[in-house]
Amino acid sequence: MDLQFLILIVLAVAAAIFSVLTAIVVVIRKTIDRNRAKTQARLYQFYAARCSELLLTDLPPLPADSKPSSIFLQYESLIEPTKRSLAGMVATRRQVHREALQQVLVDFAQDISGDSSRRLVYFFYTLGFVDDELRLMRSRRWWIRANAARTLGLLGAKKAIAALTASLEDPHPDVRHQAMQSLVKLVGPDALRTILRISKNLSRWTAIELSVVVSGFKGTAVPFLIEALRSRDQSVVLFATEMLAEIGLVTAVEPLMHLIRTTIDTTIQAQSLKTLGRLGDERARNLVVELLKSKVQPVRLSAMEALGKIGGSEAVEMLKPWLASRLQEEKLVAARALATTGVEGIAVLRAAGAHNDELSAAIADQVLEEFGVEREEA
Amino acid sequence: MEALVDLILNSYLVFVVLYFIGVNLTYTVLLAISVREIVNHMRHDRFSNYRLIVQSELTPPVSILAPAYNEEATVIQSVKSLLKLGYGKYEVVVINDGSKDKTLAQLTAEFEMYRSRQVYNPRIEAKPVRGIYKSRLPEYKNLVVVDKENGGKADALNVGINVARYEYVCCIDADSILEDDALQKVMKSFLEDEQVIAVGGIVRIANGCEVVNGRVVKVGLSNQLIPIFQVIEYFRAFLSGRMSWQAVNGLLIISGAFGLFKRSAVLEVGGYKHDTVGEDMELIVRLHRFKREKRQRYRIVFVPDPVCWTEAPDTVKVLSRQRNRWHRGLLDTMLIHRKMFLNPQYGVIGMAAMPYFVFVELLGPVIEFFGYLAMVVLVIMGSLNLQLGILFFIVALFYGVMYSVGAVLLEELSFQRYPNPRDLAMLLSFGVLENFGYRQLTAWWRVKGIWDYFRGKNAWGSMQRKGFSTFKT
Repeated sequence: MDLQFLILIVLAVAAAIFSVLTAIVVVIRKTIDRNRAKTQARLYQFYAARCSELLLTDLPPLPADSKPSSIFLQYESLIEPTKRSLAGMVATRRQVHREALQQVLVDFAQDISGDSSRRLVYFFYTLGFVDDELRLMRSRRWWIRANAARTLGLLGAKKAIAALTASLEDPHPDVRHQAMQSLVKLVGPDALRTILRISKNLSRWTAIELSVVVSGFKGTAVPFLIEALRSRDQSVVLFATEMLAEIGLVTAVEPLMHLIRTTIDTTIQAQSLKTLGRLGDERARNLVVELLKSKVQPVRLSAMEALGKIGGSEAVEMLKPWLASRLQEEKLVAARALATTGVEGIAVLRAAGAHNDELSAAIADQVLEEFGVEREEA
Repeated sequence: MEALVDLILNSYLVFVVLYFIGVNLTYTVLLAISVREIVNHMRHDRFSNYRLIVQSELTPPVSILAPAYNEEATVIQSVKSLLKLGYGKYEVVVINDGSKDKTLAQLTAEFEMYRSRQVYNPRIEAKPVRGIYKSRLPEYKNLVVVDKENGGKADALNVGINVARYEYVCCIDADSILEDDALQKVMKSFLEDEQVIAVGGIVRIANGCEVVNGRVVKVGLSNQLIPIFQVIEYFRAFLSGRMSWQAVNGLLIISGAFGLFKRSAVLEVGGYKHDTVGEDMELIVRLHRFKREKRQRYRIVFVPDPVCWTEAPDTVKVLSRQRNRWHRGLLDTMLIHRKMFLNPQYGVIGMAAMPYFVFVELLGPVIEFFGYLAMVVLVIMGSLNLQLGILFFIVALFYGVMYSVGAVLLEELSFQRYPNPRDLAMLLSFGVLENFGYRQLTAWWRVKGIWDYFRGKNAWGSMQRKGFSTFKT
């Protein structure tokens, strides 16, 4: 009985201590967070005002024969008082101020260009932010590395290009993502070559992140994407084919056709066919027609879709038999492809009721509705 | 005879104490895993730019499936809210499950729906579809209304899965409010790992929140007791329970109020089972079973951030029905898939998740209830060591409080949706208060659920929705 008592008392005390401590921690944390937020907001405002001053101050024009480094001396004269003020603070306070200042500079860096941008980059270097972040890139904690990779991009620190390139092979995906984004910011479209060459097993999430960047580069990204079609990594090839479809330059047609002919990967074949369809180039027609006979259903479906987009009388004739396919999915894709070809395909769908089974007629009817063709007309 | 009864009851109480220790150890481990998982999630989330999901052309489209049965009071507002979500390409499929009120009429009038010629492909067997409707208005082009014969929520969802155009289907309750970025956040798990086949988001209680135009604009606590108790329960269930089980791919339930699935995976297992009241849990267990039997790699994930707000019962009567139904659903699922129980072939599901759900979630209330009963009988018989009994009660109380406080801590560590310190203090107080009466009451409803199940009572029980417009404005 004594032992039972003892166990229960120990349990009760443990639970009570845990509950009370947790409740205290929650309340204290809430209070600290509120105060910290207030302090940060105050410091942010202070440094935002100071930075605006630093960026707006007119500097005397430099003589034509001045050394390139003279401009940096001018920038240094602007930031000197801030550096002195930081140096006079105790370490913990200095850290809080530096964090606020860095945040302000990073936020400003996203909206400005020209001389102001150069000033900011100089401030990042001279205040030691770049070296600090480079040090953090070697941290054992992935979130610290990821944050450093992101900050270096925002700081415009070209000194960090080598470190960021190395981080493309970091074991943690978030670090890789941040390094990619930063490299693109620092290097421009040329960074894509390195990124696509080094990348492996791109997740869909990474592909989406990259897609937004690549879409921004438009035509300049195409050579790198075509180069990436030769990658051994399926995810990189798929990404490149999808982005080539998005950008829509017909220079990609021949490399894509070559890829379809040489690869044994049917996922890549199907995706490349879709891209060829979206590019709509007639050079691809024969290859697409050939792949209508593929034994792999996704390849056949992609070929139908592509053929519909490439269009022409031949496409209509080739697609028509698929309306009678045994598989409902194939009927539907064929019907949509026919409708995409235009007037001729629409006419085939209108006549589907007379020549096909009930399901094909119903599917044709559905697709006509999808394409805004009224039943009466059909 | 009296000595025998005394011996049995005292032995039972010793069993209760041992059970109590085991359960609390389990809870402690789960809480610790959850803390780790939430901290990791928060770190990871800092680097996620969800706007990209909206911006990118590569984002997969989603079909949102909202079954509606007699929802005339809320359906228009709910659908309008769903049509305004921040996501790239998606469609909203409302399935009118043979409503007897004006749900369909209101939808067709408000959105100018016409009867579509879309071919219905019944890949999962379900009650007949009477018609598929689409909107004439271009701004509602992505709205589809399916009118079908009444067959229950699971049947309606199966029809929705049949009609859905896209590979990802988001199953929700018609009266749920999804936060603007909820779809983006829930989709991210699929994008990061192609093995993911289902993702659940957190469900929070909207009672007491300010809802404007189908959006929660201010989070607060209700001024009624019952919903506040449920806020704590939901914290425990979602932030502690589901977060920890998903860490080991042992999640057995994705709430019917908000879950995103790979359509192909759901079709592969034959969709929702429509003759159970726990169809949401049953589907998840079946997905686990199927994938493990086929030895396919997969993951079922819970994400604590994408929020779905729901109206919680605010009367004892409705709450009792809901808890009764949940418990019958749990029992039914465990019985249907009893083959998996303690079966090493099913890995963590058979050896850890199912035993937890059986011994802790399912039988816990029974053991607790009979524990109270045994104590009362022993007090009457004068055989109870009163000091020990009171001490045990205090320990149980402290542990109850500990887990409630732990759940509030998880919320504070992470999302801090209740910014008002007064709300925080209220939640902590209710974490203590729930142990005096509320907890015992829910235990009783769950025991009754088991009793009703074996008596063959398998009705859903109705909940009269008030609609979010009646909440704090």
